[in-house]
Amino acid sequence: MSAPAVKDHPIHRRWIGQSMKRVEDPRLLTGRGKYIDDIVVPNMAHAAVLRSPHAHARIKKIDASKARALPGVLLVLTGAEAVEQTGPLPCFANPPVAQYCIAVDRVRHVGETVAAVVAESRYIAEDAVDRIEVEYEPLPVVVNPGDASTSKGDAVLHPDRGANNIAHQRTLTFGSYDEDMRSADVIVRRKVRWPRSGAQPMETVGAIASYDEGTRKFTIYANTSMYNYVGWLMAVSLKIPAHKLNIVPTIAGGSFGSKIFTHKVLVLAATLARACGRPVKYVEDRLDNMTSCDNHGSDRIYELELGLKRDGTMLAFGMKVIDDYGAYLQFGVGHHGNAAAQLTGPYRIKSARIELTAVFTNKCQQGAYRGFGSEVNNFALERIVDAAADELGISPVEIRRKNFIQPEQFPYKIPTGNVYDSGNYGAVLDKALEMADYDGWRSRQADARKQGRYIGIGLASCQERSVFSSTEFWFWNHEPGFALTSSPESVNIKIDPTGKAFVTLYSPFWGNSPETMATQIVAEQLTIDPSDIEITYADTDQGLMGTGPGGSRYTVMIAGAIAGAATDIKRKLFKIAGHFLEASEQDLELRDGRVSVRGTDRGMTIPEIALQAYYFRLSLPDDCNSGLDARFTYDHPYTTQPNADRTDLGVFYPIMGHMCHIPIVEIDIETGQLTYLKYVAVHDCGTVVNPMTLAGHVRGGTVQGIGSTMYEHFYYDEQGQLVTANFADYLIPTLKEAPPNIEVGHVVTPSPFTEYGIKGGGEGGRMGVPPALASAVEDALRPFGVKIDTLPITPMKIRDMIRAAQQRKG
Amino acid sequence: MKPAPFQYVRASSIDDALAGLAGHGDDAKVLAGGQSLIALMNLRLVRPAVLVDINRLSDLAYIRQENGTLAIGALTRQSAVESSDVIARLCPLMAEAIRFVGHRPIRNRGTVGGNLAHADPTSELPAVAVALGATFVTRSQKGQRTIAADDFFVAPLSTTLASNELLTEVRIPVWPAGQGWAFMEVSPRAGDYALVGVAATLRAADGVCQSGRLVYSGVGPRPIRVAKAEQALVGCSSGEATFREVAEIAAGQVEPSSDFHATADYRRDLVRALTRRALMVALDRCQKGA
Ligand SMILES: Cc1cc2nc3c(=O)[nH]c(=O)nc-3n(C[C@H](O)[C@H](O)[C@H](O)COP(=O)(O)OP(=O)(O)OC[C@H]3O[C@@H](n4cnc5c(N)ncnc54)[C@H](O)[C@@H]3O)c2cc1C
Repeated sequence: MSAPAVKDHPIHRRWIGQSMKRVEDPRLLTGRGKYIDDIVVPNMAHAAVLRSPHAHARIKKIDASKARALPGVLLVLTGAEAVEQTGPLPCFANPPVAQYCIAVDRVRHVGETVAAVVAESRYIAEDAVDRIEVEYEPLPVVVNPGDASTSKGDAVLHPDRGANNIAHQRTLTFGSYDEDMRSADVIVRRKVRWPRSGAQPMETVGAIASYDEGTRKFTIYANTSMYNYVGWLMAVSLKIPAHKLNIVPTIAGGSFGSKIFTHKVLVLAATLARACGRPVKYVEDRLDNMTSCDNHGSDRIYELELGLKRDGTMLAFGMKVIDDYGAYLQFGVGHHGNAAAQLTGPYRIKSARIELTAVFTNKCQQGAYRGFGSEVNNFALERIVDAAADELGISPVEIRRKNFIQPEQFPYKIPTGNVYDSGNYGAVLDKALEMADYDGWRSRQADARKQGRYIGIGLASCQERSVFSSTEFWFWNHEPGFALTSSPESVNIKIDPTGKAFVTLYSPFWGNSPETMATQIVAEQLTIDPSDIEITYADTDQGLMGTGPGGSRYTVMIAGAIAGAATDIKRKLFKIAGHFLEASEQDLELRDGRVSVRGTDRGMTIPEIALQAYYFRLSLPDDCNSGLDARFTYDHPYTTQPNADRTDLGVFYPIMGHMCHIPIVEIDIETGQLTYLKYVAVHDCGTVVNPMTLAGHVRGGTVQGIGSTMYEHFYYDEQGQLVTANFADYLIPTLKEAPPNIEVGHVVTPSPFTEYGIKGGGEGGRMGVPPALASAVEDALRPFGVKIDTLPITPMKIRDMIRAAQQRKG
Repeated sequence: MKPAPFQYVRASSIDDALAGLAGHGDDAKVLAGGQSLIALMNLRLVRPAVLVDINRLSDLAYIRQENGTLAIGALTRQSAVESSDVIARLCPLMAEAIRFVGHRPIRNRGTVGGNLAHADPTSELPAVAVALGATFVTRSQKGQRTIAADDFFVAPLSTTLASNELLTEVRIPVWPAGQGWAFMEVSPRAGDYALVGVAATLRAADGVCQSGRLVYSGVGPRPIRVAKAEQALVGCSSGEATFREVAEIAAGQVEPSSDFHATADYRRDLVRALTRRALMVALDRCQKGA
């Protein structure tokens, strides 16, 4: 596939671009949303799970007799029993890593499921969990990712996959890397540590599974995603034919990536329901979620190098990266595909190299978290760009500006092979500098320093890739495995006899605004009033292909799908109206819900046409069937195959947003505490469908990014115990930890390849904060010569660095 | 995260509550605001066999002045303390400290007695109680006794309250005229328990410190009063130079431990910074009040 045709975007828009209130809000904000915990199925029983207290141990013996004897207990299921019916969980890695909904003979992280209980109530189920006696044989615990390559014997988590704990190792070189490094005047080197943090939606993962003896079919309600993409893989785990499983989506109380698939919970609930003959509800509690969900994000150690000319021109960017994947490898190393989508950021860097070592340790597996690993690359790249600016004595603004890809250079192919569709990075930077009053703050900063105050001005200019293509799932693999290339999104639109629009989505509500987006886009396409549009979600029985939200793809993809379906509907509207109005279709126009003959007052409204379409077959044109509906599956707008040796990964994440964040902070050097004096976030997500919801994404994402940067840490101690498995220790910023006002600005560079020129903006805020804040802290503490290369930057760490600097000075 | 089974007793009078507590040894627990206890029960870290709910005992919820003493009923909600004019006048240190206790919804349920009986060494009110020489009134079926705040707190979540005893009232001497005060703390986030907190009082006149109290949370197993630092104030000129020295002494005296959120070194840094700052504010208030 070569670059798709450049689209012409209509300038006049009625609904796209409006800050319309979210259509999801009335039911959600009044507590009438139906979440997984609100679903009640007749005769439903409740499950709870016994979690491993050990990071690594063999399960020698499980005695569940006391649990089974407790009144109200229906079932206690161990891994050894479960595996008789249910196979391994779906795994996207190749070769796969065997993982079961209940650990079979060995636990590999604290919190792994050891047994499950079904009882008449969750209370009884937990009482029974307490009474299960397990004999463990502790095994050596691997916590330090640096140890993985030398692990031996019982310390090897998956002996079937190799003699040590290296999960995957591969070096990819893009372009003439060694040559470019040789021609560099300076090579800046830096070590950077990105610790594990994770998505923390208010609602945990849950599923209610029932098995109908009559139809021999499972129905599972779940707050999951990707069910219409790869939901059938759960049927494979359950060893049933795919048509004997229907997954019904419920709205999710947030995900941020953590509910992308939720295979453990769905398969567990279904396994329990089958074993006990009752519908079973299993909803994780917070401990379940924090120790064993899919919400743990990247956990990386980088050695970075950036080669430059003395004048600051960037030439080549390379890295050794170790990524601590934890005990299993659910999504393979797709996170590094994601990073490769924008490896060289907004800069004209000619070549690049990634030496990746993914390792197993005794921690919860990684899942997906807003950014999916590309936000980590943003941090790494921006840190080394700041380091280069320092080393070369160039201002952080100028080194960036000097290296930006220029507007006329798009579409621009970066060394990895991915193509950026469009952008105007200078414009974003200029707007941010202006909104922040950057120069004014530089002089205020100097004045303040004279008074012993430490003000820091941060800056990060980062990419915000959107609309992933599925090739990133496998191109890192030595053997690609299932080398899929589709990642479409579908929609069905029905105009009913009264002219109302029924829109069916094939992906879930995830805490974002899919209904608002679909409503605005359908309203735009069909000139129907938003109040006449109804959005519903299809289960897998009804499902067309839908890859689901993730990778900031949904708005772009659903716009493409809606445009496709709406085109068919408009064709039919015109055909019927033309027939009745005795006018040629070329002379017709659709406006304000009415098809009329251009330049006349003759026309028919959509309800009038719809009524004819449904009930008056004999009045319709001969080649017109009854009804008025269309479905459309929209494929990824621009993706290509990676080449065989992976010196070119192909196009897989081309719809490229951009952002510039400028935090201005003050640090109390005695306590290490930080306060925000200003926070500016300027984003370019192409055409904005709804400025209000996008600003919400930016602000929310920014606060989440503050969490990753300043507070949050899934910290495992030397025994592999998760020290921060609760919200008293895992610190999520509240409103009081957020800047009082996150000033949001937009620059609009429409994508040439998507409907209306929309780009994804769902992950943006979080992807820019870490490097921006790190640079602000570093800037504030410049008199101490402090370098920020690891997160979270807690006040204690700031104090430690200052104390060390003061002691150095003596 | 569901509690282990327990028997629930709703007390309709103090005697009722005492009867409920009697005869169960350590297996009975008082339920006040539930903001600490319920979380521990849900984690099954605490498994009382009997839970005696005192929330209906409205005669334990009051704030009043009784001849030179401020009396606060154990069931008084923390938010009532926060918005009380009487507290603001008669115990401004507590009025300042209470705002650091959790968040407003927590203070709406959480009680003064529950907070003190819970005896978290990083909590604010125990430090205030020790700094102000409060006395705690308790009752059991055997009768009433009073315990000095300083004798009440033993170790984390551990007090000299017997398991069959109910804390009924906190008594604090009415604020002496001309005494300055400040409560300051550093916590990981707003509303979290303190990494270090300081309850400070100060009396100074004619540029000389006469007396002061410095009690810390977060630096030991219970509220820690640093007498050496207090003594170092006496007779010295009231101002930043003295406070800097006193802060240094305090930082040297405390023996905090390290945990995931704060190392001992960091806690000492905080003691140093907060002591000086709190004394500066206390001095300012002392001068304004005098
Ligand atoms: C998110 C969060 C943040 C918090 N932050 C802080 C903070 O920053 N600082 C802080 O100090 N606290 C904090 N708390 C705790 C809060 O202040 C609690 O309200 C307090 O610790 C306990 O008071 P309670 O009335 O809720 O007592 P409960 O939870 O009902 O009981 C606590 C303990 O005291 C015993 N008890 C209660 N009343 C009596 C009585 N009258 N006689 C004898 N025993 C009694 C109970 O048996 C139990 O052992 C926080 C709580 C939460 C949930």
